Amino acid sequence: MPRRKPGTLLPLEKEILRTALSLRGSFHGFGLAHAMREQSGSRALTAHGTLYKALGRLEERGLLSSVWEDAAAAEGRPRRRLYELTGEGARIARAEPATAPSPRVAARPA
Amino acid sequence: MTPERMARLVAAWVRFYTRRQPPAAAQRRREEIDADLHDHIAHEREAGTGERRIALSIAGRMLRGMAADASSHRPLVRVGLATAIVLLVPVILSAPWSLADFIAAGVLVAGSGLLLEAAARRPHSLAVRAAGIVIGVAACLFGNADDAPGLVLFGCLLIGATLALAVRTRLRSE
Repeated sequence: MPRRKPGTLLPLEKEILRTALSLRGSFHGFGLAHAMREQSGSRALTAHGTLYKALGRLEERGLLSSVWEDAAAAEGRPRRRLYELTGEGARIARAEPATAPSPRVAARPA
Repeated sequence: MTPERMARLVAAWVRFYTRRQPPAAAQRRREEIDADLHDHIAHEREAGTGERRIALSIAGRMLRGMAADASSHRPLVRVGLATAIVLLVPVILSAPWSLADFIAAGVLVAGSGLLLEAAARRPHSLAVRAAGIVIGVAACLFGNADDAPGLVLFGCLLIGATLALAVRTRLRSE
C-alpha cells in the first residue's frame, strides 16, 4: 500500500472516480478497465490485482458501493460485481480536475 | 497459449494470492476476476482480435499485477515471485526452452534476486559483492560458451551493478 496523507486519493483512484462519473450508472470491473483505457488513450488495460484492490479501497471509503448482479441476468457467464458511485464519490469525482492518466501499475498493492 | 488457458493461469494466481485472505473476501475477488476474464476474452473476440494477442493481453495484465503484488511480500517470497514472473515470459511466448534452460534461468534470476536483497540489507558486505561478481562472471562464461548474448549481457549488467553499488557505498561512507 503506498504511503499517503490521510484523506487523499491515489492517482489511479481519482482516475477510477472520474471514469465512473463519465459512465453514468453502474459499471463492472472489465467495463471500467476498458473505459479507462479508451479515455487515457493507453494500449494496456489496468492490471487485475491493481484495479480490484483500488475498487475495494474506494468502497471501504464509502466512495463506491457494489452488489452482485442477478444470476438470471448473467445468462450463464460468471456474474459481475456491479459498482456505483455514492453521492460522496460523485462529489469528489466532479471536483477532481482531469489530469494526465495515472500509470497502470500501482507502486504498492493494498 | 489460448486465452482460456491464460485465464486459468490467472485464476490459479488469484487463488494463490488470496489464500490468506478471509474466505468471503477471497471468494469475492476470485469471482470478480473470473467475470473480468470472461468479459475480456468475449470483448476481444467480438472485436476480431487474434487468439494469441488476447492471451498476451491477459498475460500482460497478470504480469503487471504480479509485479505489484510481489513488492508487498517478504524478501524470499518476493524473489520467488519475481523469478516465477520472469520464467512465465518464455512459457507465454511458447519459447523452445528445455527443462535445463528453465532451471539455469531460474537459478540465475533467483540468485540475482537474493543477491540484490542481500545487497540492499548489507551494502558493506564483501561476501555480497564477491557473489555478485562471481555470478556475473559465470553468466558471461556460460553465455559465451552457449552462444547466448542475452546471458553475457545479463552477466555484464550484474558485474556493473555490483561495482556501482560498491563505489556508491564507499563514497557515502567517506
